Amino acid sequence: MAGASQQQRVIVVGGGLAGLAAAVRITEGGIPVDLFSIVPVKRSHSVCAQGGINACNDIARQQGYSEHEHFDETIYGGDFLAHQPPVYEMAQMAPRIIDLLDRMGVPFNRTAEGQRDLRLFGGSLYKRTHFSGATTGQQLMYALDEQVRRAEAAGKVHKYEHWEFLRPVLDEMGACRGIVAQDLRTMQIRAFRADAVVMATGGCGLVFGQSTNSVMCTGAAASRCYQAGVKYANGEFIQVHPTAIPGADKLRLMSESARGEGGRVWVPGKKDASGAWGPHPQPGMDPRQIPDEDRYYFLEERYPAYGNIVPRDIATREIFNVCLEGMGVGGGRMVYLDLSFKPREELERKLGGIMEIYRKFVGEDPCEFPMKIFPGVHYSMGGLWTRYTPKSDLRGLEKGAPGNMMTNVEGLYAFGEVNYQYHGANRLGANALLSCIFDGLFNGESVVNYVRDNAHAPASAVEQGLYAGAEQIEGDKEKDLLARDGDQNVYEISAELGDEMTEASTVIKTGERLQRAIDKVAELRDRYRRIGVADASMWTNQALSFAKSVGDMIAIGDAILRGGMLREESRGSHYRADHPERNDERFLKSTIAEFDPQSKTASITFEDVEVGMVEPRKRTYGKIEPASGQKAGAKTEPAGASN
Amino acid sequence: MERHHFLLRRLHSLTGIVPIGLFLVMHLTTNSTILWGAFNTRIDGEGFDRRVGTFQKEVEFINELPLLLLIEITLWGAIAFHSVLGVYYATSGKGNTGAYRYQSNLRYSLQRWTGYLGFLFIVYHIATLRWGWSFLVPGGTEWSHHFAASTLAAALRGGDEGFTALGVAVSLFYFLGVTALVFHFANGLWTAAITWGLTVTVTAQKRWGYACTAIGAGLMVAGWASVVGFAALDPAEARQVEMSLHGEVPTDGGEAEARSMDVSSRGGDTIEHSGGQH
Amino acid sequence: MAAEASTGMNERVIRVRLKRQDGPDARPRWESFDVPVGTGSNVTSVLQWICAHPVTVEGKNTTPPVYDSGCLEEVCGSCTMVVNGRVRQACSALIDHYCPKDGDELTLEPMTKFPVVRDLSVDRSRLFSNLERMRAWVPVDGTYDLGAGPEETPEAQQTRYVLSTCMSCGCCLEACPQYTLETDEEAWDRAFVGAAVISQARYFNMHETGSSLKKVRLTELSGPGGVSDCGNAQNCVNVCPKEIPLTESIAAIGRQVTAHNIRQFFSGD
Repeated sequence: MAGASQQQRVIVVGGGLAGLAAAVRITEGGIPVDLFSIVPVKRSHSVCAQGGINACNDIARQQGYSEHEHFDETIYGGDFLAHQPPVYEMAQMAPRIIDLLDRMGVPFNRTAEGQRDLRLFGGSLYKRTHFSGATTGQQLMYALDEQVRRAEAAGKVHKYEHWEFLRPVLDEMGACRGIVAQDLRTMQIRAFRADAVVMATGGCGLVFGQSTNSVMCTGAAASRCYQAGVKYANGEFIQVHPTAIPGADKLRLMSESARGEGGRVWVPGKKDASGAWGPHPQPGMDPRQIPDEDRYYFLEERYPAYGNIVPRDIATREIFNVCLEGMGVGGGRMVYLDLSFKPREELERKLGGIMEIYRKFVGEDPCEFPMKIFPGVHYSMGGLWTRYTPKSDLRGLEKGAPGNMMTNVEGLYAFGEVNYQYHGANRLGANALLSCIFDGLFNGESVVNYVRDNAHAPASAVEQGLYAGAEQIEGDKEKDLLARDGDQNVYEISAELGDEMTEASTVIKTGERLQRAIDKVAELRDRYRRIGVADASMWTNQALSFAKSVGDMIAIGDAILRGGMLREESRGSHYRADHPERNDERFLKSTIAEFDPQSKTASITFEDVEVGMVEPRKRTYGKIEPASGQKAGAKTEPAGASN
Repeated sequence: MERHHFLLRRLHSLTGIVPIGLFLVMHLTTNSTILWGAFNTRIDGEGFDRRVGTFQKEVEFINELPLLLLIEITLWGAIAFHSVLGVYYATSGKGNTGAYRYQSNLRYSLQRWTGYLGFLFIVYHIATLRWGWSFLVPGGTEWSHHFAASTLAAALRGGDEGFTALGVAVSLFYFLGVTALVFHFANGLWTAAITWGLTVTVTAQKRWGYACTAIGAGLMVAGWASVVGFAALDPAEARQVEMSLHGEVPTDGGEAEARSMDVSSRGGDTIEHSGGQH
Repeated sequence: MAAEASTGMNERVIRVRLKRQDGPDARPRWESFDVPVGTGSNVTSVLQWICAHPVTVEGKNTTPPVYDSGCLEEVCGSCTMVVNGRVRQACSALIDHYCPKDGDELTLEPMTKFPVVRDLSVDRSRLFSNLERMRAWVPVDGTYDLGAGPEETPEAQQTRYVLSTCMSCGCCLEACPQYTLETDEEAWDRAFVGAAVISQARYFNMHETGSSLKKVRLTELSGPGGVSDCGNAQNCVNVCPKEIPLTESIAAIGRQVTAHNIRQFFSGD
């Protein structure tokens, strides 16, 4: 039962970068934090981020780069779908975030002189990515984890690890006054009071079955907020990372830094008399034996300016298309990502972490062989809808304004990947770590101010009945689930959901296919009502909590599909083969999904994007159409797309 | 105990090297003269076994050290301290060489077992040969520093007449005990360098490992030489040599006389060191 | 969650023996499962398959086994367990290595140095509690803009970086003969901290700002459960999945602790 301490408290749900940064900033503002996480916070998914974190720096600045340039790249990379004021603020703060992380002891790679080293990353012609080997996310998150441990030792943070968020507690005015959570060991369902709640629960890769995400990235927490009335925005924008290692249990990420450090993407091929590329006569040949003239460096040929470091959506579609054209390695769904021509010492020093992953999971040494990779679902640009208070000239955010990153539910915030800000239709590499920490540090102050200036009575004064009622709802839901005893296997339902979502709604979508997927999800929703949970134990019942999350994944999957269905254009990661052009007139808008409790499906509306400083322009990354005569993969060159 | 955790741990490490380790080196060097004493040209070897002679000289030298009893008590105290703490520390861990068959892990377990065995051996060794608990010696031989080699050989062989079955067991026990202690010391030297922070890098640890192996191998040869040397020694012949060193005329019935002399030496320690060379 | 345990190549069926335990005080028992695998299968994908098909070889319906997993690429430290008698991450344990042939057997057990929660899942709170005991953080003056951190040579960064990749998986503790099960939380402040925590102390002592807590850490490491409890079996470094030079950390901390205590003995503070 909720404690009734007089002190104001904030609940942060999620212990990844965004949640930890928020906890640090909010406690610094003098408000104690209850930190909830399914896993020990040190095991959160942020550890998987590899490549780095972007920020303008002194060297790039002297070459003509600036915070404004970083802002512009992010907007351009996101195909103009991101609201501009928050992105502007983020780019402005980025250099100071790097300094702070540096002070916290993050072992950023160093130059011979002892300065922070920089690398090239997708979507930029400047070196502006700071990195710590190829495990930057792990290093940044550990630094924040340590600060939170320090706050915990000082009694400012109370961790609830192995607790799963079940629902926000909303009062009669619709404001968030706490959460209901479940202890994953004792299976106790309990309500907690809070004067504000920050959701920092990350993305929903597991909705697509196989992805680069960790197993807890089901999107269930976001879905539970969505089903409780929080708007879910831009769900159809799912980043498919161009370079992942296919595996039986997951797709393991091969960082963009592999390309940033000079990695070249190619497939075996043969040029015909006209200079057009065709499949290699021996597709299964040892790649080391293939001469350079038979290597089709398709990204470099098609994008001379950016080459292998085109943004992810573009690289993904080009790789996907090359394979569809029958030029994949061995004729299958695989291309080479080649670093084998680089000195081993340099690879180990700068990319050791990912070289090791490839070696361990594939059993081949990437210093000797080109790596075999294929795109995999990676990041949710979309997420919980949040508002913000822009400065009057739209250049940035009003610092500390209580509304920054608050959802449409008063007192309920969304930080990090779980919100829909910053990245628009496609996230640039090494901007995710930045946006997560930025949310926590910059907007953490907004939470503090909201709690301080609270017009509401403090949560400690809210009547107990509200919390008891919320507990009751979740308790009843669980009882209902355990009582189903049907013939449907919930693991199979989740696998089918993943397959359907991946086929219909990732790299290439069509209205017809999306409609079929919507129908399939409806069927899965129906079958979900007839599941049986194979474990009735009330101690560490993972089968039960997984079964719960599958229901929530179905709800989010439906919202993603319906948004994609109605967005009849192509923009960033969302490519509709039946509508290959970007259509600013109709769709320079955020997709807003609201849950309809009756039909259990999403109803979709659109809302204008706040443009601000940068006017939308064509997004081509200087593409040159391939001479081979095959159809261009993307809408990136609208004029020449039909070729 | 908890307050002085660090001090006790480091004293445990230190006592293993000084004085115990240092004594072990000296002791084995001395005892192994029972073999390499044959090459000792500084002793007049006319007509008798140089090995026995050299060893007897060494023993006498040690027995003439000033404050010998103080040295002995310090040593026994250090051994007791090192052993008691050692057993306490060793029982706080739990070996797992079955699952993790690394060489360093085997040495971890061996360090503990050699500690136990070595301790038992030292207790037996001191009790029988120094404190005179001859009821633990098959054949009942009591060691005398005047007849150092012959009485030791008799103690190892189970009596003056050839090997008895129990004598073989004692010799074997000596062999194992010495082996255990040498290993324990050499390996302890290696771990002590890590404990004290002398060898930090893997390379340094490896190098010191070679050095400790060499030290251990040298001591092992000395230890085995001593055990084999004494076990192979005929007590009666050795007695002849010792008696001649003491200036007494060896007779064919030397054995009986020696025994009576032994008694008298125990009685009042009246034997003159008349046979001494200096 | 993938219900497939393989990618379709080199298909075969293996026998998986699983140590089950319903709760911390329950008696452990064994169950066996026949699992289809192929190239690319790992222990985690095998467990995923068993969860979706929880039927033993005797045909008995059972509960899906409980186990920890997270990133599945060996950076989160969740899935540590004992595979065929030795501790490791389940995600990087490839079936091709353990069971190359049809019918080969695989044994999965929970770690033994931590209290079992259920089945293969254990409670590693002691490790995190010891990190707190070791003040494993850099005491910064808050998040306001105070410029960059201390400069650092690339050599120092490389040393710190490797230490910083420790994911608190607990392999080094499971394999350590000196680290033993301790269920009493009160005793965690006196029981051996183990290689991971010693190495983290070294990591923070190396940082200019972090070293302001060096004395506190070294005093802690001089006491019961500190670095002198190490028995130099060096299993830690042999089982560490991140190849962190744990024995070098132990020796480095040994040196720091020696100097610290000598200094303290003569200075008296």
